[in-house]
Amino acid sequence: MKYCTSCVLSEKFPGISFNEDGVCNYCTSGLVADHDKKIEYLKEFEKLLDEKRGKGSYDVIMAYSGGKDSTYTMMLLAQRYNLKVLAWTLDNGFLSPQALINITHMTDKAGATCMIVRPPFGVMKSAFRKAAEVDFYSPKTLDRASSICTTCIGVVKSMILRTAIEMNIPLVAYGWSPGQAPISSAIMQTSARMQVFTNKSVRDPLLEKEPAMAQYFLTENDLKADKDRWPINIHPLAFFEYNEEDIIKKISEYGWAKPSDTDSNSTNCLLNALANHLHKKKFGFHPYAWEIAGIVRSGSMPREEGIEKITQEEDPAMVKYGAEKIGFKL
Amino acid sequence: METVPKSTVSDVIITFIKENFIRGRSQTEISPDESLIDSRIIDSTGILELVMFLEEKYNIKIEDEELIPENLDTINNLTKFLAGKGIR
Repeated sequence: MKYCTSCVLSEKFPGISFNEDGVCNYCTSGLVADHDKKIEYLKEFEKLLDEKRGKGSYDVIMAYSGGKDSTYTMMLLAQRYNLKVLAWTLDNGFLSPQALINITHMTDKAGATCMIVRPPFGVMKSAFRKAAEVDFYSPKTLDRASSICTTCIGVVKSMILRTAIEMNIPLVAYGWSPGQAPISSAIMQTSARMQVFTNKSVRDPLLEKEPAMAQYFLTENDLKADKDRWPINIHPLAFFEYNEEDIIKKISEYGWAKPSDTDSNSTNCLLNALANHLHKKKFGFHPYAWEIAGIVRSGSMPREEGIEKITQEEDPAMVKYGAEKIGFKL
Repeated sequence: METVPKSTVSDVIITFIKENFIRGRSQTEISPDESLIDSRIIDSTGILELVMFLEEKYNIKIEDEELIPENLDTINNLTKFLAGKGIR
């Protein structure tokens, strides 16, 4: 298998080409945010926090998985920036027991209110199984994440947005790594108009397959919410220095512990191994490849470590566990 | 007002979409009235990428109230929308 000599994308990644030095077109197309850009975003971010802080019962709702990146982001917002945080977690039925311990422990440490929402497992199971059987999202979406993960994060984003609107919380925070989401979206106003596009590309394909999921997505009526209630999405790790080892060290000092029962690319979810396995089998590349390529490009991870992450085989027992639990025949 | 032949604006959009969303996949052509989202060529993140590209390419600002499928969801809608902003 041929890999880019600069990042970790392989020849199987859609749209890839290599120059005479073996560097891929994604590396040469200027995807890395420079230092000046990060400073610009940091200033805008801090100005935004000063504007929004202290206006309501919560300053920010944090999409909190209990994983390392969202834990680090939550601590940053609560402690460095003194925000009142509502930490919102989706229990999709596959939370690692250690992740749940991390969630309750770390929200206590952050002084954050912890809200865990658990849809009935039968509904989640059915949605995940259908996502495992057929890919019904746009191919470009599947460059960045597996069908199963796209289903789960679609629910998270929609429910969090609705909660923010209902509770009049001005900011929604995500712990996206620099590779998961570009800096250009790191501070972004949400709106009913953009939500129409999200509904068309994520909600509608999913509801066609699993109508029972409808209650977890914004409805046409929800879109009529007053313009002032639509929050601003932030994902600060795009412009803070990002080093996985440092992040784990810092949050471990507060008592966070890495789960031992999750796939190597996740620090919270027991379904991740199956999701990755199926994606690789169908498309020939790892669903985390795009994210890890972005982290490598940003200089926050050595290429060799990135290659190791995306070429490591999933634990067959974890894959089997996930498949059996959602009723998917391997 | 920048004036270029209408087909060139359409070509620019099609080239951008092909390079960024279709290249290396089984679908290779886009029909001008085909919904980019319903046909799964582009997703909501892709709409944002397209908007940023158009703003930079033509030095325009696309306002929040203009982010609607009627303006952005097909090649024909896009060229008509841009014509309304003086890009022909």
